[in-house]
Amino acid sequence: MSDSSLVSGEALSLVRAYKLRNVRRAALIGIAFLLLAALVVIDVTTGPANLSIWRTIEVIFDRSLATPKEDVIIWQLRMPVAIMAIAVGAMLGVAGAEMQTILNNPLADPFTLGLSSAAGFGAALAIVLGWSVIPGVGGLFVSVNAFVFAMLTSCALFLFTRLRGVSPEAMILVGIAMLFTFNALLAFLQYGASEIQLAQLIFWQLGSLARATWPKVGVCFVILALILPWFMYRSWALTALRMGEDKAAALGVNVGLLRISVLAGVSLLSAVAVSFVGAIAFVGLVGPHIARMIVGEDQRGFLPLSALCGALILSGTSIASKAITPGIVYPIGMITSLIGIPFFILLILSQRKRHWQ
Amino acid sequence: MSFFKRVGALTCALVAGTLLTTQSTTAHAEALTFTDIAGREVTLPEMPDKIILGEGRMMYGIAPLIEGNPFKKIVGWKSDLVQYDPDAFRKYQGAFPEETARMIDFGNPYAGDFSIEAVLEADTDLVLLDVGNLFKAEETGLVEKLGNAGVQVAFIDFRRNATENAVPSMLILGRIFGEEKRAAEFIDFYIAQMRKVTNIVDTIPAEDRPLVVVENAAGWQDDFCCWSFGPYNYGRFVELAGGKNYASTLANAYSVDLSLEGIIEADPDVVFGTGANWKEARPEVTSTLLGYEGDPEVNAERLAALAARPGFADLRAVKDGRFHSIYHQFYNSPYHFIAIQVLAKWLHPDDFEDLDPEATFQELHDRFLPYETSGQFWITLNR
Repeated sequence: MSDSSLVSGEALSLVRAYKLRNVRRAALIGIAFLLLAALVVIDVTTGPANLSIWRTIEVIFDRSLATPKEDVIIWQLRMPVAIMAIAVGAMLGVAGAEMQTILNNPLADPFTLGLSSAAGFGAALAIVLGWSVIPGVGGLFVSVNAFVFAMLTSCALFLFTRLRGVSPEAMILVGIAMLFTFNALLAFLQYGASEIQLAQLIFWQLGSLARATWPKVGVCFVILALILPWFMYRSWALTALRMGEDKAAALGVNVGLLRISVLAGVSLLSAVAVSFVGAIAFVGLVGPHIARMIVGEDQRGFLPLSALCGALILSGTSIASKAITPGIVYPIGMITSLIGIPFFILLILSQRKRHWQ
Repeated sequence: MSFFKRVGALTCALVAGTLLTTQSTTAHAEALTFTDIAGREVTLPEMPDKIILGEGRMMYGIAPLIEGNPFKKIVGWKSDLVQYDPDAFRKYQGAFPEETARMIDFGNPYAGDFSIEAVLEADTDLVLLDVGNLFKAEETGLVEKLGNAGVQVAFIDFRRNATENAVPSMLILGRIFGEEKRAAEFIDFYIAQMRKVTNIVDTIPAEDRPLVVVENAAGWQDDFCCWSFGPYNYGRFVELAGGKNYASTLANAYSVDLSLEGIIEADPDVVFGTGANWKEARPEVTSTLLGYEGDPEVNAERLAALAARPGFADLRAVKDGRFHSIYHQFYNSPYHFIAIQVLAKWLHPDDFEDLDPEATFQELHDRFLPYETSGQFWITLNR
């Protein structure tokens, strides 16, 4: 009798602890969400044009109130950029998080695995040689080339995983080999580029939200809406994978299939993001680490928070890039790294426990 | 800026100095010594017969100096003229078909495809390079390697500090080709045409100078606006023509990426972009196709499309009909006085009522160039 009450007491406290963790996780995600909303408001209300916050919000909620100038500035210039920052940040955050998970490596992200370099090379082919991989796509061919090359690279990675006895470590090494190969090819094209092409290429490579448009924002959200719920659905299996391949297999997870299917989703996310805004380093690598430091490995918290952290980083960068010199567009790729890395190092130093187990 | 001015002035002085001191000696011995735009002393054992152009567009500077065949001493070039100004290339081709056909394309001097062996194979005496690439040329070891092989290198400049370096560059070219007299004639013409603008602009007070946004290669990319120039090149041309260059107020850089929102807020008085016939090398461009084969109807349509881009359509400059486009290649040629005259008329129509850039352009061709003028080189939005 006393035994069973003890058990039920223990179970009760376990349940309570579990519920508390759930509540805490939900609260953290909620806070991140609110923070992101605040950043978006700041992003939309800042810019070289001096529009007041209230006026901006008014125009956002009722577009018919806007003067032609306000309509252009808010609806065609600022809003697509602000929302693209969230979408791309989330895409890169999720892509990095799941790459780190399936490859069991803290250094994995679309950038370090060469997907960004591949995309950069595809774009350079378009910019320097005017060569379109898929004919007849018109003015979009820089983005299309970038997308095709990023997808081809992840297919190569994907095929590599099918080889017998290939470990996640070997995949990382192949990714790094890709990175250097495409960087070398890219340098080759850069070397022969004219000054206008070079300016375009460098601008593309450093990443920019300046070319955001509503249709591109739409595409990003469609991809996110397709892949994120599916990753969430697989979250228990992914969490199990982080405990070790053998344990996950013992729990009934088809590890090979999971790895390949997640890689496919991650490839699509990062290829689309990179092809629209250029190669943005840091976000996909660091966003998930920040999320992990805050909520730990459980995918139910880790995945949404990685997306939110990515979005927060890019949204903050978008604001910073406008603040440096109003009127000049700075490539955000360099700002993410410059501003983000000191913050990231500070976070690592302040953590007492190892954040990557 | 003042540093560059000083360097420019110094180079002028150096060139003039070397010209005076070497004039008497070169008359007898064929040796040739001069100081190039990079400030390097270049010594050639004899007058060069075989010259390679680091940029095909250097022909803009060479053609006016030589009566008759300007290709006589040139063995090869980079294909930029063929690719990015095919109209001008076809003008040269029309006048000297055999010469243009025999020109070797040496590729980009700063890239792997530029073969130093091929340069030696062609028995080259001198390679002319653009000073904007001085760092690249030194970094890649090009200057050193060519020097070791006994091929001299000289730097000229019509782009980076175009207005400061055009005259010394023409003097250098005059020396290299043994055409000092023609060079002096061209420089006379150049200075006279520049003075027509600067003499009047000097009297225009700062507050009467309109704010100008320059869009470098407008329509080169259809999804991004706007590359611009800081206080260099077209940015400098704007200042010389009596305007205030918007990008120069933000950054002291050769190239500046402007945000469209910033432009809308700045509310410029005049907006103009540069355009050239890039369509052959890059079919997707939406730029105006200005040049010797420029078709006014096509360009009017293309300019209207550029003006209708979101954000541009509501600009005051567009509504007031002060939205223009001008031939991009003036930015890399000693003919930039034409651009400055056109800009002066756009910026101060009343002060420059009597100025006639068309006539200046015509005179340039009549007196100095081996072909007739044609096509269209600037255009204003028709409202």
